[in-house]
Amino acid sequence: MALDLRSIFRKTWRTLASVETGVVLLILVVILSAVGTIVLQRPVTSPDEMQSAYSPQVLLILDAAGLTDVFHSWWFLGLLFLVSLCIVAASIDRLPNRWRYFSSPYRYPDEGFRRANRPQKSLALANGEAGKELGLVAAERALQSKGYNPERVVRQNHIGIFAEHHRISELAVYIVHSSLLLIFFGTILDGLWGWRGTLNLNEGQSSNVVAIRDGKTRTLPFSIRCDAAGQENYKDGTPKRWWSKLAVVKAGQDVQKKEIVVNDPLLSSGFRFYQSSVGTNGTVGHFTELEVSHEPGQWVVWSGVVLMGIGLAFVFYLVHMRIWVVPVRDPRTGKLSLWIGGSANRNRDGFEKRFNDLVASIENELKPLTCSVPEGATRFGRS
Amino acid sequence: MARAKQEQRQPADGMTLIVLVGLAIAFLLYIAFLNVVKTGNLLSETNLLFATLIFYSGAGALYLGFGVTGTESYVKFASLATWLGLIANTAAVAHRWVDAGHPPFANVYEMLLSFVWALAVLTLIAEKKYGVKVIGTITMPVAIVGVVLMQLLRTDVHPLVPLLQSTWLDVHVTLAILAYAACTLSFAFAMMFLIQDNVKTETFLVLSSASTLAIYASVVLTCFGRWGGLSLAAWSQNRAAEIFLSQAIRLSITIPELGWLMTVALLLVATPLAYYGLAHRKNNLKFLALANRSVFVSILLQSLTLVVLLLGARNGRSPLDSSGGSSSATAAASPFMLAGLVAGVFISLLFLLLVWRRPDLERLLPTSDKLDRITYKTISVAFPLLTVTIATGAYWANQTWGSYWSWDPKETWAAITWLVYALYLHMRITVGWRGRRAAYFAIAGFAVVIFTFFGVTYLLRGLHAFA
Repeated sequence: MALDLRSIFRKTWRTLASVETGVVLLILVVILSAVGTIVLQRPVTSPDEMQSAYSPQVLLILDAAGLTDVFHSWWFLGLLFLVSLCIVAASIDRLPNRWRYFSSPYRYPDEGFRRANRPQKSLALANGEAGKELGLVAAERALQSKGYNPERVVRQNHIGIFAEHHRISELAVYIVHSSLLLIFFGTILDGLWGWRGTLNLNEGQSSNVVAIRDGKTRTLPFSIRCDAAGQENYKDGTPKRWWSKLAVVKAGQDVQKKEIVVNDPLLSSGFRFYQSSVGTNGTVGHFTELEVSHEPGQWVVWSGVVLMGIGLAFVFYLVHMRIWVVPVRDPRTGKLSLWIGGSANRNRDGFEKRFNDLVASIENELKPLTCSVPEGATRFGRS
Repeated sequence: MARAKQEQRQPADGMTLIVLVGLAIAFLLYIAFLNVVKTGNLLSETNLLFATLIFYSGAGALYLGFGVTGTESYVKFASLATWLGLIANTAAVAHRWVDAGHPPFANVYEMLLSFVWALAVLTLIAEKKYGVKVIGTITMPVAIVGVVLMQLLRTDVHPLVPLLQSTWLDVHVTLAILAYAACTLSFAFAMMFLIQDNVKTETFLVLSSASTLAIYASVVLTCFGRWGGLSLAAWSQNRAAEIFLSQAIRLSITIPELGWLMTVALLLVATPLAYYGLAHRKNNLKFLALANRSVFVSILLQSLTLVVLLLGARNGRSPLDSSGGSSSATAAASPFMLAGLVAGVFISLLFLLLVWRRPDLERLLPTSDKLDRITYKTISVAFPLLTVTIATGAYWANQTWGSYWSWDPKETWAAITWLVYALYLHMRITVGWRGRRAAYFAIAGFAVVIFTFFGVTYLLRGLHAFA
């Protein structure tokens, strides 16, 4: 029985971690969100409008299916949760391998690798230990001039050079995926503990009660006083600017003051006050309409966004490039040559060009060092 | 519109085409001249935009001319015309910028102006950097549809409402425009890939006929009125929106007889598909030739329909004329629908181009492998741009409404676009989709982009009301 459970678990895990599952889930998200933009949604539509848009039977069906409030329905949120699970599973499934690749890079290419790797090139060297050393020095100089930081790798009695750029690129995808999870996590925090409401104040009035949806209210730990509010118009009469001078009052003391306008809210201990509009009511003068929001998760969201930007930049614009240089003695002829191999995890054409540049510059470095080697002794392909 | 149309009528041989194109451009210049005389101002925005239209149309016509005659030097001249168009377009953007006192990003008209500009720039870059000389065959028609659309949208300069007075507006919209233009370019590359990858010409027949059929079917199904008229939602040019008599009741205007014409056009657009079906059933290539010929006939009728619609829209009858009175300010066709019809003509034309000059096109294009990689490269630029567009939009929304995500239709569709391209990347990188399937994906992605750009604005309502 326990074995069965384990196999079920393993199967579920496999399914969750597979790309196919992820793709199917994303397609579902796409379809359902599209439906949510086509069917009128209750939270942003007045009941009258709903009734005039759909016949009672249709409305009944839509309501029962949850299609009139897709984005807050349990199945949509459940779907997003499944997507997150899928990302987590896929990452856990693949990360260890990738991590090994990242943390202990392949530094010394063995014979099989040398035979198969592309691109590669071999340059002829002068025989003997001196020739070997000259080849390595030339390669080191060329690599340094191309901005690499070459290191000598010693394996038993073999010696070679390894150099690389942008190893982080191997982990970039995981950075993007974890940033997505971070964003989801932030929105969950806000969904659980965040709220939005409105607060209307006459000039001179103060209050700490915010009206949220469905006639409920929330009490702030401090009061907000509106000292002044106003509207400025363009010449054609359309509003140009709404402003309010607000003060945060704690225990009878003004602790913070700010003139807010649209796009520039007042922030006080985790609560934000936005200028929504300004109106006049005859005798009292102006009154200001404020939106109040409390989003404890937003900084998690923003850090996710920044992380995603970094991750995507790594994914698309950082190429993990590796270069190996090994002096090799041909077992049949006994001739010594310098095997140079390279590899890149993306943009292989661009890399091939760079690789050829590098080989050319190693050749250049070699020339003054080894005059004995005749020019044009380059051999292509297998060594 | 009608002026721009003239030159795309496909004659059967090259000489007629060149004469027609010459006449059309002369006509455009004549109109432009009249306009200059009337306003006495050579460098007004309208004229600059008109010059843009002339040059882009010239470029489009030259690409098509290459398609008909196979004269390669046309492609060079097309590139030159694109350059000239870009100069006029840049001047129009600058004019608008100075006039409005803010970058041209604040409404659909201004966004289109910038979008067309970005598209022309990317086209020229693609020509130079990747050597895809005929890429304009696809991007220029898109640009022309954009400029034509602009002629119908509200163009007056409005001061920025408080909401839009933010640096984030500029950042957000610049990124969005670049992302959309990059998506358009990837679409063009994907199409070129399909051509170079020896996708059967019949497949393109099905693709192009199905998309024009979809356009005409949706028009006929939603607008066919009583007694064969075409009943259209009245469009106010002043407000650049449909006219509502009361909540959810649109003012509609009927253009008599156009319904029948539209239905005939629909049938003709459907005939290539029918012939294609027959060709497959009977295994007879003769029907394919007939299918190609019927595409040609359908273009003529499509153009005719378009002209009748444009003429009719000016004096369409409204059942509520007496009470409304506002109908003087209406054109009874939304830019959205017009753009659809113009796009239909272009899609059919591009198909004919393919039928006639496929070997020449293939000769001028890079290898399919390279095109596949360029498509991917373009998307790998577009995707981060889309991401940052959404992120800056969210940040701005948070500054303004106190909430970074409210499932508004525009937001949701931006997210859908993002997801579609994310799917493309996963299929390509992880599953290893290359070539055709990836190209079809890129084309689908572009369709979603267009819907996000225009469809959402005109078909779905939401907070993002300005564009």
